[in-house]
Amino acid sequence: MKWVKQYEETIIPVIALLLSLTVAGIVIALLGNNPFAVFANLLRGSGILPKLRYAGGKSMLTDLCSFLNYWTPMIFAALGVAVALKAGLFNIAISGQMLVAGFTSSVIVGYSSIQSVIAKPLVLLISIVAGGAVGALIGWLKYRFNINEVVSSIMLNYILQYIVAFFISMYYVDPISRQSRAVSDESRLTLANVEFGGYRYDIPLGMIVALFAIAGVQFVCKKTTLGYELGAVGLNRKAARYAGINVGRTMLLAMFISGALAGLAGATYYLGYFASIQPKVLAAMGYDSIAVALLGNSNPIGILFASFLISVIGKGSTYMSSTSGLDAELSSVIISLILLFSACKVYIRHSINKATDKRKARVEK
Amino acid sequence: MIENIIGEGMTFALPLFVMAIGGIYSERSGITNLALEGLQGVGAFVGALAAVLLARVFGAQSQLPYYAALLFAMLGGTLYASLHALLCVYFKANQVINGVVVNILAMALTAVFTKGINRRLFGTPSDKFVLGVSERWSILEKSVYPFEVIIVVVAMISWYVLYRTKYGLRLRACGDNPHAVDAAGIDVAKIRFTAVLVSGALSGLAGISFAYSVSASFSSGIYVGYGYLSIAALIFGNWKIVPTLVACLVFGFAKSGGYQLVQAAGLPSSYSDLIMILPYVLTLLLLVFFSKHNHAPRALGEIYDKGKR
Repeated sequence: MKWVKQYEETIIPVIALLLSLTVAGIVIALLGNNPFAVFANLLRGSGILPKLRYAGGKSMLTDLCSFLNYWTPMIFAALGVAVALKAGLFNIAISGQMLVAGFTSSVIVGYSSIQSVIAKPLVLLISIVAGGAVGALIGWLKYRFNINEVVSSIMLNYILQYIVAFFISMYYVDPISRQSRAVSDESRLTLANVEFGGYRYDIPLGMIVALFAIAGVQFVCKKTTLGYELGAVGLNRKAARYAGINVGRTMLLAMFISGALAGLAGATYYLGYFASIQPKVLAAMGYDSIAVALLGNSNPIGILFASFLISVIGKGSTYMSSTSGLDAELSSVIISLILLFSACKVYIRHSINKATDKRKARVEK
Repeated sequence: MIENIIGEGMTFALPLFVMAIGGIYSERSGITNLALEGLQGVGAFVGALAAVLLARVFGAQSQLPYYAALLFAMLGGTLYASLHALLCVYFKANQVINGVVVNILAMALTAVFTKGINRRLFGTPSDKFVLGVSERWSILEKSVYPFEVIIVVVAMISWYVLYRTKYGLRLRACGDNPHAVDAAGIDVAKIRFTAVLVSGALSGLAGISFAYSVSASFSSGIYVGYGYLSIAALIFGNWKIVPTLVACLVFGFAKSGGYQLVQAAGLPSSYSDLIMILPYVLTLLLLVFFSKHNHAPRALGEIYDKGKR
């Protein structure tokens, strides 16, 4: 049973995942549907499996591209959650940070006539600063005033949501869609409707940045002093202070990086996957990304896999609901079940250890 | 106008207060409870469902569904709280993360079930349960919702139990020094479990009160962070019941006062979005000024481990 210990980090999330899919399957069966057909429809909606029929100018690759567009912000958002978790902080203001980043970069770049070579990097930069600033504010409130970061995050989420809604409805509203006006193609991080071989595709440029971000977070956490300090503060704040680490500065930095990654998620979501902002609604992705980070063990490579999975469930929900006749919200139930079982990781580990210990004892006898 | 501000402020502050009392029970026993938001939502869902079903039996005029809704909301909240309690007390999950997880699950489940039940049982494609209008009681020549009176009574009982009974003493001891409680031969896990259940019942009562007073219906609109507001209130109240009431009243009057201001000034409706942020901004400010001097229960959020010293 040595291999169990060795691959514990992989086995436990897989167990959590299987448990949650089983429970989800039972729920679906209770609703009178075939769970496997529902799961297959989720994959079809994400362009992983072929659909029965396609509208003109669309193919499986079109769906896959659209899925990649959806997956990109999920990676950033989950990395954001993970970096904060590493330092023992729980950033649930991801959706608020996404919104602020998307809104400020829409206003500054999206509604201007800046050329695309400058506009696209500028959007990324502004989003990093805007998201990071909100993150840093939460970190500062935490260490300076000892305010629980979850409570301040939620408060900021609501405040930002209403402020952005106010400005959109006063100055930037599109009278027909009731959303904010669409941003210019030059500033968008997705090349929309690219024609190729008779089909149209949305090419997600942000995906490249997301892959770099995964490598970057992995590098910072594993190979740099900052990464070590983040981990130390997360494991034991007092011990870290004794060791001479500036705990306040480290927490602030962790929240800044976390917010900046959430900002990038906002950029690729509001100026990539979409081209406008729906006021008074926070992106559900901000909460889904918590599931991704927990399922992926806050490890960048784990997040790559976990975000793929959760994105399939999120993205495929529309097609699933139209073909299986179930509500699209069912996918949020599946995602929250995954969350629930991922939160019991300690218990699963405990059970595994108990089982292996028993086995060992029996062998020794 | 002052009359309106006080009346509306109270209808908002009292449910917030009773939910905060639930939070105090849970946190004084040592279990961090960010799940209040989800507990009040599920409680309101169960209560609203009971009310809708009973209204079909007894007719729209009967007030029975209203009182049944309050009861069922408390039951539903209790039942759902057992999930948080189970995971935190027995499965040793991270309490902060688990609280948020429980909330997310609550939002997803109630949304799916509300739609599903509406379609399958009532044959209407709707995402909310429409509740009847609650009767008003007239007390001191003011009309109040019955739930306000019930909440005041419940709050007094909760105060008595927490500060004047053996159970309350043990509960508070669990949050500060669970090892001492254990040494005295009392089951820490059991006390913490029941404390979380109490928070579920009280949150459920709060949830259905919000459902009746805000929109006379149940929908996903119930999740607007009131659970988190009540947590802020109890932190501001230093985990004590009476100071927490003050905080809740401040929130309530800030909210109703803001609305009255917008109406009196005749501003366009977009400005009500700005007024909406008042309670949240106030929460942050209060926390900035009061968090430093507060003392959370010493063992709050720690998983109780018998072998640990």
